[in-house]
Amino acid sequence: MVTFIIRRVIQMVIVLLGATFVLFACLFVLPGDPIASLAGSERARDPAVAAELRQRYNLDDPLLVQYGAFVWNFAHGDLGEDYAQRRPVNEILGPKVVNSAKLAGVAILIDVALGIFAGIIAAVLRYSFWDVFITLLTTIAIGFPVFVIGLLLQQTFALQFGVLPLFGMNDGIKSYILPATTIALVDAALVARLMRGTLLEVLRADYVRTAIAKGLPRRTVLSRHAMRNAVIPVLTYLGISFGGFLSGALITEAIFNWDGIGLALVVAIQQQNNPIIVGIVAYSVVIFVVINLIVDLAYAALDPRIRLS
Amino acid sequence: MTQLVGQELATGTTAPTTPTDEEQRRAGQWRDIWHLFTRNRLAIVGLVLVAVLFLTAALAPLLTSYDPYDQDLTNTLAPPSGDHLLGTDPLGRDQLSRIVFGSRIAVIVGLASILLSTVIGVIFGAMAGYLGRGWDTVIMRVADVFFAFPLLIGAIVIILMLGRGVLPVILSLAIFSWATVARLLRSSILSTREADYVMAARALGGTGWRLVTRHILPNSFAPVLVFATFNVGVAVVAEASLSFLGVGVKADVPEWGNMIAVGRGYVGTSDYLWLFPSIAVVLTVLGFVFVGDGLRDALDPKLR
Amino acid sequence: MQRRLRGTAIAASLAVLATVAAACGGDGGGEPPGEAGRAGGTFRLGIVEPTAIDPYNSQESEGGLVTKQLFVGLTGVNDAAELVPGVAKEWTANADCSEWRFTLTPDTKFSNGETVTADSFITGMTRAGKKSAASDVAYHMAGIAGFDKLQDGSAQTFSGLSAPDPNTLVVTLSAPDCEFDKKTSHTVMSPVPSAAGEATNAGFNEMPVGNGPFKMAEPWQHNKSITLVRNDQHSFGMTKLDRVELTILNPNNAAELEYQGFQAGQFDWARMPPEQLPAAKARYEPMGQWLHEDTNGMNYLLPITEDGEMASKEARLAVSYAIDRQAIIDGVFKGFQTKSTTIVPPVFKEAYQQGLCTSCDKPDPTLAKDLAQQAGLPPGTNVRLAFNTGGGHELWTQAVKAQLEETLGWRVDYAGEPFDEMLEEQRQPKAHGLYRFAWGADYPTPDNYLFPLLATASINKDDGGTVNGDNRGRYSNPRFDQLINQERASQDDAERVRVIKEAEKLALDDMALIPLWNRSQYRLFNAQQFTGGGLDFNEYPPLATISLK
Repeated sequence: MVTFIIRRVIQMVIVLLGATFVLFACLFVLPGDPIASLAGSERARDPAVAAELRQRYNLDDPLLVQYGAFVWNFAHGDLGEDYAQRRPVNEILGPKVVNSAKLAGVAILIDVALGIFAGIIAAVLRYSFWDVFITLLTTIAIGFPVFVIGLLLQQTFALQFGVLPLFGMNDGIKSYILPATTIALVDAALVARLMRGTLLEVLRADYVRTAIAKGLPRRTVLSRHAMRNAVIPVLTYLGISFGGFLSGALITEAIFNWDGIGLALVVAIQQQNNPIIVGIVAYSVVIFVVINLIVDLAYAALDPRIRLS
Repeated sequence: MTQLVGQELATGTTAPTTPTDEEQRRAGQWRDIWHLFTRNRLAIVGLVLVAVLFLTAALAPLLTSYDPYDQDLTNTLAPPSGDHLLGTDPLGRDQLSRIVFGSRIAVIVGLASILLSTVIGVIFGAMAGYLGRGWDTVIMRVADVFFAFPLLIGAIVIILMLGRGVLPVILSLAIFSWATVARLLRSSILSTREADYVMAARALGGTGWRLVTRHILPNSFAPVLVFATFNVGVAVVAEASLSFLGVGVKADVPEWGNMIAVGRGYVGTSDYLWLFPSIAVVLTVLGFVFVGDGLRDALDPKLR
Repeated sequence: MQRRLRGTAIAASLAVLATVAAACGGDGGGEPPGEAGRAGGTFRLGIVEPTAIDPYNSQESEGGLVTKQLFVGLTGVNDAAELVPGVAKEWTANADCSEWRFTLTPDTKFSNGETVTADSFITGMTRAGKKSAASDVAYHMAGIAGFDKLQDGSAQTFSGLSAPDPNTLVVTLSAPDCEFDKKTSHTVMSPVPSAAGEATNAGFNEMPVGNGPFKMAEPWQHNKSITLVRNDQHSFGMTKLDRVELTILNPNNAAELEYQGFQAGQFDWARMPPEQLPAAKARYEPMGQWLHEDTNGMNYLLPITEDGEMASKEARLAVSYAIDRQAIIDGVFKGFQTKSTTIVPPVFKEAYQQGLCTSCDKPDPTLAKDLAQQAGLPPGTNVRLAFNTGGGHELWTQAVKAQLEETLGWRVDYAGEPFDEMLEEQRQPKAHGLYRFAWGADYPTPDNYLFPLLATASINKDDGGTVNGDNRGRYSNPRFDQLINQERASQDDAERVRVIKEAEKLALDDMALIPLWNRSQYRLFNAQQFTGGGLDFNEYPPLATISLK
């Protein structure tokens, strides 16, 4: 088991290096000079100042040198400095990461609650009205792009009914509801379908039929035998989803003015603010990969078949 | 969505015995699959939607009376009327024509990106799954690198590099989707490899290419097919999202994401601008999702 | 040149400012303050995250908004685009405008009690001009002697600045400039207290201490808010508001958020997304909360005149005659723009020559086709039209494209690019075609339109042929340069205006820039609770004079 973990960690590091290098290479060949214009305005920068900044940020060094410096600094937790505000990227992104994480946390709760609950009902009450209703609803939900859902929710609950804040993070718990729901809704539909699918599969299994034949009450069978096995793939899926949420829900954050890293990325891309882009994408990649690792390990731990193989 | 398909699908199969029997059985299998598929009402609906989409894309010029690029500055932002069934956009262009022509982009981008990612993914996944060991590790690590990027973010970076347009969008979506296909096929192959019937075929003297194409691939392919079908829907939404963020196809191309992005500024005043393209996106995605669902149920041998 | 304005003129100017602001407030917005206004109140608005609020690097409009509330410079600008006294109550130049002498109002204070002296200005300007500051706005001081040494690091003091006594600032220029006083209205030349330290002093960057009508209540809460409170040490008039709360919004849809915030009662001042202007006007104009102003700015198409398809005057005129500006304004902007017939905007009342560009007034397809033929650009020619994405220019540029294609039969190579990329493209030796372009003056003078954009000296090519100056269209006309130099050397206001007008006419006859429409700005102002709303020269709300009703 230990060798398994070590091997996976090494793989993770390789993947991180690969991904960040690809990112660096892509940004390196971007047309346009990120130092050329004043941030947020349409004026060209004074050439002397531009030269000074190029020097300060080592922008004239070759790709490999810049990448090497980046990796070295990254290993020390330093993501460099933002070109526009001249502040450390860590300082700028730190609070945003926290904000995205908070939103992701609430979103995953909604995801779990809605998704698992709906999935169980659909499976247990198979072929009933509820099953059809939920199946249909979840299938349709998949077709809705995030921005449509976000706009609809905003229009209805914030502008029309006025019960929830329109945007921003200043209203305490209430601020979280609309954006978190927007993020979680489509995923909850997928979770519900998955839950339903795995539960149905498990309920057909021999050992469950045996348990029922033995006379165990339905509820016990469900909770003790069926759910435990059915929920494993769902949990791994939720883990991956959480990783996705943490990486910043770009569109949702933009619509609701949520100061998280997804929004920061959209803005940084428009302004071609490379240190921020690199910082955020590197962070997203790290999160994704780390969570994948955790999920893999958890799956191995939970599924005795893998553990014992 | 990818995990969903991977987990939900069972990959056990029945074992053919002799070549001629196998061909007969395969014909029978397809007929069975078709029967199962058509029994599913939602799948039929999906098929109809997809068919409508393709027909609209193919016959677009015949279905519209206006050129989607034709501006009419004297008649901008006109609500739906007899003249313009779905209204006009801020440049006076007919919305209905733009939605109809938008189906072309959806079809092209959706199909092309998924086709590309599937081909790449199948090649690499098959190599990893069948050739094993060294190849497997290298390919899977490369796949992991691409897998590490969330789809939208990765696509945006590629598009920044290549500029806006249909081709960069297709490429960027394909680049960040193939990894899942490869992974899927690989795990599918890994389980089929150890199956009894394959060992039997090998024992009978079947080797290499024939083994792969005749026995392993067809039986491992099902999850990939289902995933690809779902993924067309994902691609259409991703492409609309990219345009919504301003990094998709060029701004004047009639395309649903572009139209929704423009319409977003008019929420509450000219809702028809974003509502109809949104419906188009939703219906298109649903079509593929229903078909994918039906396909998965039909291909699942446990239900047969 | 003599400009003498008495100390009492400061109060008078503020009153003028306020009244003009009220008058410019447009259709019924705000009554003159001071009569109805009372002290107190919190004014709330939204901005996007500034690059900097410390005057050493404050550069774009949102940074400038905050900095202007925190600092008063030597001079200021009123709504009529005229220079008015700031800390300096009067100023003079020597005979050839190579040396300027500013007399400061004595005993004015920073918010921390320190007295503002000529040295405070020297400190502020030196710290911004140093090489280590790498300030993006230091170039406004480039005309002052000793600037280059400061910028390349060989000097640590600004040799062109001196303070013979605490209330006199003497500025020696490296080249004569009869409009140098106008430059002193820029925030980079703000005075700073001794506690400011170097430009890299993060404490001061986050919470600058100044002599303006407001002071920071707390350090800058990045991406969340900036809060200002009234500065009771302010020596230039009585600020009525207690507090100003600036909520920082994401730039992606800031206008939308401001507008929604205003509707929800969260903001007292807001921009609106262009699509919502008709609805907003219908709703808020009857309530007296609607503000409209054509401000310091202009929208053009920038032709690359050195090479390529736009190198000939005929080609550019063809474009101008082919574009139906009014149709675009009516159709795309729903009437919320005003077509432009000049290079210099109407805000400069004396220099403004309405109707100067005849091709801008009405389109003429036949003449346009003729001119295109003469220019050697028959139907089927490839012509490039590029614009920067993320600025909301997609729609109207498509309209221009369609008009050019329809009228002239050209094949328009239509490209939207991120701003940096477009800028880079314009600077390259091989640039060609048309670019969407806009400009606003840094100082209240029409010279700041004509010189940076059209003078040969503003091209500034390096060895590789890359353009480093602001004249990226590479317009070069010796007669124009002659006129500009004549204007710059003149100490007579009337003469200067006359020559500027002649230069502008010359440039427009050559169609060096293709004017499109003025810079029309619209705002919403909470006139139910407040009075004194309007847009000042920089398009900011006049926070120093706004008050509760």
